[in-house]
Amino acid sequence: MYLLFLTTRGQSIRLCPAVSVAPYDQILTLYRTLLVFATVAVLILSVGLVEFVYFEPPGQTTGATAHILGVFEYDPATGTTRGPDRTTFARTDEFAAVVDWSQLPPDLVVDARWFNSFGNIVGKVGPATAADLGPQSTVPVIVPPGFHHSLPGHYSFVVERLKDGRPVEVLGRRIVLVER
Amino acid sequence: MSTHTYTTPPAANPHSKLRPARYWIAAVVAGVVVLALIVSSLLNYAYLDSIPARASLYGLLAVATIALGTFIGVRAFTRDRASRRKHLIRAGVLLGFGVLLWLLVIDVFVFTQSAGPAVAGICALACLPTTAFGLLVVRRMDRNEKEPWRLVLVAAAWGAIVATSLVIWGETLWDGTAQHTLVPGPGLDASVAFSAGLLEELAKGTAVVLLFLVMRDDFDDVVDGIVYGAAVGLGFNFLESVGYMTNLYSIFQPEGIGWAAAGFQWYGRQVLGLFFGHATYTAFIGAGLGIARQLPHPRQKALAILSGFLIAIAGHFAWDAWQTFFPIDGGVLGLLEIHLRTLIMTGPFTAALIALLLFGIRYEALGLVDQFRKEAASGSGTILMDEVPVLASPWQRLAQRLRAFTRGGFRAYFKVARLQSAQLDLAMERWHRERQEMETPMEAEDALRQRVRELRRAVAASQPVRLGR
Repeated sequence: MYLLFLTTRGQSIRLCPAVSVAPYDQILTLYRTLLVFATVAVLILSVGLVEFVYFEPPGQTTGATAHILGVFEYDPATGTTRGPDRTTFARTDEFAAVVDWSQLPPDLVVDARWFNSFGNIVGKVGPATAADLGPQSTVPVIVPPGFHHSLPGHYSFVVERLKDGRPVEVLGRRIVLVER
Repeated sequence: MSTHTYTTPPAANPHSKLRPARYWIAAVVAGVVVLALIVSSLLNYAYLDSIPARASLYGLLAVATIALGTFIGVRAFTRDRASRRKHLIRAGVLLGFGVLLWLLVIDVFVFTQSAGPAVAGICALACLPTTAFGLLVVRRMDRNEKEPWRLVLVAAAWGAIVATSLVIWGETLWDGTAQHTLVPGPGLDASVAFSAGLLEELAKGTAVVLLFLVMRDDFDDVVDGIVYGAAVGLGFNFLESVGYMTNLYSIFQPEGIGWAAAGFQWYGRQVLGLFFGHATYTAFIGAGLGIARQLPHPRQKALAILSGFLIAIAGHFAWDAWQTFFPIDGGVLGLLEIHLRTLIMTGPFTAALIALLLFGIRYEALGLVDQFRKEAASGSGTILMDEVPVLASPWQRLAQRLRAFTRGGFRAYFKVARLQSAQLDLAMERWHRERQEMETPMEAEDALRQRVRELRRAVAASQPVRLGR
């Protein structure tokens, strides 16, 4: 059966079928909205995964290993280290890592960085070729401006290989604790 | 054949034939949680040379006691009056013992180690009013049928105590492994953000899933799911705030800015991020479960639940991974940037959740109004036709209660409140039955009608006026 809709001037005359329509359950609107949000969520997580792969590219292992001689107490006045290799320091201690750059291929582009427990860079040398970094074997932790001492927490020291200006491989790593 | 209900008065949706199956699933989930806690504590003790690891091990008894006490307490309300008191006392003793034990462990071993018990106490006290405010707001979002405080508080307690305990070992192992293997920078940040999003949302979501499985009577739809999910998130946010505040206090106090650091954390997590962070993420899990509650097909139900978890994990991940892309300057501009960062990064998720909530409230209201009318038309005497507009509007219900208050004080106010609540319960029961969302005996609905009539008589006795507009 068809219903004829007679319309006013300017409107079209059309025939449309009269069908019995079951009442639309609005829970389906909620469900579909949720599915749309979930699709966005999948996109976000995918972007995260792509970001991870971009900054952690697979197949970047060269086999090279940086020789970190240790982490020692540091005297900023003389720029030298002293005492034994340590894994914990007091807040008031100043400390530095010592790297033997000669163990790396001389043309390898590398840098060395200290990160505090907040992920901030608190000391670095490079980037440059291992040969150029040769004299800069001591990499001290710099106390952040405005602070008297290093903040407590775990500090990571990494020697990284760079490609296209971006770190792609960790060649050596040390983690030390600055006690509260 | 007589069908027995245990509830006096009956809950909106009394016992279902389907319920044992759900209880079995809930029991399995609870068993996995307890097992994870045991493994977590043992792993922490074996591999992490830290005080919190010991706290985790010693805290096992407290967690088990609280879990058992919570279960007995929640179930007590579905018992008959005679045995309810006994169960409530048992639950109270267990909960009290568990909470004391837990606080002892936390205070002495964790916060004392970090900043001392006095600082931990002050931080906790600072977070209590804001969290309580958050819970109050979240509970009031359900304009038609507010969730029982006992369940809202249970949800928050799970978020604070059980969920935080569940994620300790997982996050520690994941983050520790990442720090020892990955290149520091955005890749490592993304990895840590994945661990936080996945593990924390799974731990918090387990609480909402358990409520969904065990307390189906009080888990009606998307609105209820959002309320419970947000409550779990607020509980988690409470303990995380206390942890971060004490930790940062202990780090920065030697530089003389410990309280400033703790205060900044408090503002970021308890004011600015109170509704934007954990509350929003976990509310999505609740929303997924709430929508699944009313969907007809198992495949749709599963997709809805999965969607809720995915959105929560993605929201949490996005904040943790990408907030470093919004650098904050010092000074006044930095203060503005902090607010903008939260608004830009978490705001869209909260806005999406509010959209679901508003639609859910409207959908629920339409369903209830329809049932008010049908019940009134049935001539049962429980709902009168001129009461329908009043029951349909939260503001008119409040006005009706206030009118009762002016005539008969608090006693009359609460009598009318109980009557309105029972009428809403009845409409909700009818709504679920009409949608074929339960298989409960009709006697329960009749018992609800009987309860409404009794309450109406009580109101009429104390206040001889009609209840309509």
